[in-house]
Amino acid sequence: MHRSSLNLDPLAQQGVSNPSILQQAVDYQGDFLDLLRANNVRFSALHNQKSSAETLGQNHSEELIEGTTVIAIRYEDGVMVAGDRRATAGNVVMYDRADKVLEIDEHSVMAIAGSPAIAYEMARTLEHSFQYFRRTQLQELSVEGKIRMLARLIRDNTAMALQGIGGVVPIFAIYDSNNKTENLVSPSGRIFFYDVLGAQFETVDFATSGSGSVWIRGVLHYLDRWSETRLSQMDINQATSTILRLLDTAAEFDTATSGTNMKSQIYPIIKTVTQDGVQELSLDLIQQVYETVVQV
Amino acid sequence: MFEEHYRYLESIQNRRDYIEDQIQTGSPVIGLVYDDGVLILTLTSSQKLYEVHNHLALSAIGHTADIERLRLLVTDSASVQGFQSSIDDVTLHRLTNFVLCPPIKQSFESVFNPPTVAKILLAELGGLNRPHQLVTVNYDGTTSIQKHIAVIGGSEDIEELMRDYIDQTDAGLGDKLTLQDAFELAIQTWAVGRLANQRSNPEIQLRPEVAGYDVERLNQCLQTELIELYVEAGTLQTSKRGKSKFRSLTDQEIASFLPFEISGDQR
Repeated sequence: MHRSSLNLDPLAQQGVSNPSILQQAVDYQGDFLDLLRANNVRFSALHNQKSSAETLGQNHSEELIEGTTVIAIRYEDGVMVAGDRRATAGNVVMYDRADKVLEIDEHSVMAIAGSPAIAYEMARTLEHSFQYFRRTQLQELSVEGKIRMLARLIRDNTAMALQGIGGVVPIFAIYDSNNKTENLVSPSGRIFFYDVLGAQFETVDFATSGSGSVWIRGVLHYLDRWSETRLSQMDINQATSTILRLLDTAAEFDTATSGTNMKSQIYPIIKTVTQDGVQELSLDLIQQVYETVVQV
Repeated sequence: MFEEHYRYLESIQNRRDYIEDQIQTGSPVIGLVYDDGVLILTLTSSQKLYEVHNHLALSAIGHTADIERLRLLVTDSASVQGFQSSIDDVTLHRLTNFVLCPPIKQSFESVFNPPTVAKILLAELGGLNRPHQLVTVNYDGTTSIQKHIAVIGGSEDIEELMRDYIDQTDAGLGDKLTLQDAFELAIQTWAVGRLANQRSNPEIQLRPEVAGYDVERLNQCLQTELIELYVEAGTLQTSKRGKSKFRSLTDQEIASFLPFEISGDQR
């Protein structure tokens, strides 16, 4: 049989092979950002970042929504992460039910502070990146891989951050079942915070971010150093009441942080990251702790 | 195009024979709907069951490299669509009809390119007003949509025999099955497929053999196979917490579901 007589298409007849889509398949090594780039989908907050930054910078009537207090503390079971519910634009309250503590995967959360438009997109990209790595590479991305992925997203956002209109300063909390810090393998909750350019730092017992954080950082240090029960030894009830008190304190001094609005049933969002995964504390529990311990 | 029509038909038939010969000894895969979602099960020496998206899973028989390419194709597409739009837009129908089938068909019919040696089983967890679905994609790009059970095996005869075995059991289907019931039915069906594959004379009609497959014989087959292979089973589980509904069954769960004790030399 002559090969030429079997050619199915003009290219093949000219001796040019025509590989199918399957043969052209590219392995992105689990890198979701590369996959998005290859499909002409971009981390959308960065789309046309220069022009959008210039536009917003020139148009002073466009106020950017920002202002927050988020806190993460290590307690006896893992990490507890909380955030107030307010989103503001200048001195206008835009929204009072924002969820700033976002579940990224079964054992990690990201608490967002800064520009919500970019922060939410960053969290979504991070979530999809972890899933994509797991699904394609058939293994979980390592803890180091996860924290570096967030650093990479923040670094990619440098232009917006430097122009003062799109900075994101998140806290990332994760339960590391294979924590090899100090050459010892011991499962534990870990807290990381970032600067606006993407540098990552691991804290020992607590981290706080957002416009209200300056009012409570000193209190957290005091509690961690001199209180009868150190933060890392607190049980879930003690940690919850401490966090509710701290958010109330931040709200007292920072207009961009909301306190608790019992009349409208608006309480902070509190999530725990433990060996059992990420869990959101129920409204009933938060309400009960608030009424018995905080509002006294 | 071919100057002589019959040469094209002949080459396609050769290709079909080649692929069927390659996958004939493939370990069957069974997908079953149960009361909390969908179970997929096989016995294997390496991973054959994959999470595609939050509510989608895939398994296949065939050449490992081809399965990997198809798996990545469908996972990439689902990931991009899920990110750009919504998980609700990532459906089994779209992935099979628009993403998987066209390149598989193209690959099958491009007789100068290497063939894709793979048969695929995809499962989708349903939701409100959307039933669970199982789809099989053949090596030539044809699909078959099933509501409660789907099987892929080394040949169409073996697949038919496995379906017959499920039909003639009185275990019930869908919501009537617990995970344990579904596991037992799936693993016995796997053994039916394996025994059919190992029959001494391939010319023997398979269908009459169904009645001869008593549970004892099937368990004996499984015990022998478990020396070389291990059970790989996963579920798309409605009640699972979190966005991703896929999970692999643990070794402890599998050991407790097996209808016999695992001995030291079994995996």
